[in-house]
Amino acid sequence: MTSLFFVLALTLLALLGTPLFAVILAVAMAGFWTVGVDLSVIAIELYRLADTPALVALPLFTFAGYLLGESQTSRRLVRLTRALLGWMPGGLAVVAFVTCAFFTAFTGASGVTIVALGALLYPALKQAGFGEQFSMGLVTTSGSLGLLLPPSLPLILYGIIAQQLNVGRDLAIGDLFLAGILPGCLMIVLLSGWSVWVNRRHPIPLVPLSRKEAWAAVRAAIWEIPLPLFLLGGIYGGFFAISEAAAVTALYVLCVEVLIYREIQLRQLPGIMRESMIMVGGILLILGVSLASTNFLIDAQIPMQLFAFIQAHVSGKIVFLILLNLLLLLLGAILDIFSAIVIMVPLILPVAVSYGVDPVHLGIIFLANMQIGYVTPPVGMNLFIASYRFKTPVTTVYRATVPFMLVLLVAVVIITYWPALSLVLIGR
Amino acid sequence: MGPMRSWLRRALSLLQRVEDAALVGLLMVMIGLAVAQILLRNLFEGGLVWGDMLVRTLVLWLGLLGAMVATRQNQHIRIDIIARFLPERVQRAADTLVSVFTGAICAAAAWFSLQFVASEREFGGVAFAGVPVWLCEAIIPFAFAVIALRFLILAALNLTRTIKPGP
Repeated sequence: MTSLFFVLALTLLALLGTPLFAVILAVAMAGFWTVGVDLSVIAIELYRLADTPALVALPLFTFAGYLLGESQTSRRLVRLTRALLGWMPGGLAVVAFVTCAFFTAFTGASGVTIVALGALLYPALKQAGFGEQFSMGLVTTSGSLGLLLPPSLPLILYGIIAQQLNVGRDLAIGDLFLAGILPGCLMIVLLSGWSVWVNRRHPIPLVPLSRKEAWAAVRAAIWEIPLPLFLLGGIYGGFFAISEAAAVTALYVLCVEVLIYREIQLRQLPGIMRESMIMVGGILLILGVSLASTNFLIDAQIPMQLFAFIQAHVSGKIVFLILLNLLLLLLGAILDIFSAIVIMVPLILPVAVSYGVDPVHLGIIFLANMQIGYVTPPVGMNLFIASYRFKTPVTTVYRATVPFMLVLLVAVVIITYWPALSLVLIGR
Repeated sequence: MGPMRSWLRRALSLLQRVEDAALVGLLMVMIGLAVAQILLRNLFEGGLVWGDMLVRTLVLWLGLLGAMVATRQNQHIRIDIIARFLPERVQRAADTLVSVFTGAICAAAAWFSLQFVASEREFGGVAFAGVPVWLCEAIIPFAFAVIALRFLILAALNLTRTIKPGP
């Protein structure tokens, strides 16, 4: 009775806008208190943040992403992609998807993409002859495209949490990076295909491939082009670990944007560092307290009970996956991606593994579903950012985005029920 | 109330400057040290024995400092579906309740982690290069205390505004 009241009160507080870390902390403290564990265990659990080597990547990649978001990288990236891909059917629409996916992979889907790239692409798309509603929907959807591509922060966070759980199968973050590439490309291809089909009646004039413009665009972005190459090359060539790759990326981006392009003044740096570390702090605090609550849940055998319950009611992998999709779509619409990973992965992963789902595949399924959550009406984050950024009523954004959301849903179904798409690159 | 308030304001602005400086300094140290470790390992097949441990401790410190700073402008990750649609007066009351609750939880966390750090100090133990473990952990109670303080101040401000609606 008391515990039911407690759960209801906490749920209400969470819905009223209590920071999620406080809600999780309350669960952990109440839980440990009822089983008579000294509450100073909270500090022990938080200190585990200093005991997780891969976590070093989080602040470093976040900082690098903020630097890229603050400089003119978005402009150069659009120009480059347009010069190289603008001749393809679908033209600028394809350019927009590819650019946003790259940018989001590096900056994290925190709205930076819509703010930085959307402002360039939305007018450009309309100018190129795409409808206003179509352009709006495209830009809104693209804000979270690229979550599955390395080195996206949610992929890293999923890997870190999955490693802590010890489910019996090894799981390297490098494997997750590889596994996300084909599903991420699938989303881009489906969205591009759909864009071409929608605009088949009024074909958009294409930009012919100009060798001169392509060369100029390459020259302009020459310092940023090596970034994905040496990141992936460094990791898979065995030169450095993920956390080291993050350090090199941060230092490289810092030097390029501040010293070579000089688009970020030295006096701007403290502010950028602070903003990026606010994001890191928000994520790490939730991660830290949920290490505590997860430990309590495992002590109390909640995952075991959950598993027994699910196994009694759900037969077979396919039914499980369908329910998983529904649950994640719902969660993605309510929770932000980082909290969702931190809270749900410890509960879902052991169950999924026992149904024969590969932990790497589960990570891709998880993030692909969450990505749709960003554009799910009525509360998807991208919808509000786009509404705010383009000064459009949010209901208009809903209507514009729904078709794209349905295309992404098709992609998620393919990703979920065709494991090989995720696993073929890592040979599982 | 007057002198007390100005004293508090000065203390908070000093804290802000210290936080900002610490964030920038620690992040620079972290990048530099991490890159130095790669160079040392690949070029000289060596590396600082305590380097990795320090970098990992910096993650904890940066994270908690970032969380402290996030509290300044109430930028913590939250669910805001309902708050979006509440009338302003109700929303402010809800905000006050939420701040009091968060402040209390963090105060409790600060208290219990302080006890942990104190016992670690008694126990001794070295994390790396002569730095005691308790010092590395000291940021935990400190961060929770600052976060608790900020939420309680926020609640108090909200409350005074709700009781006598200002201009």
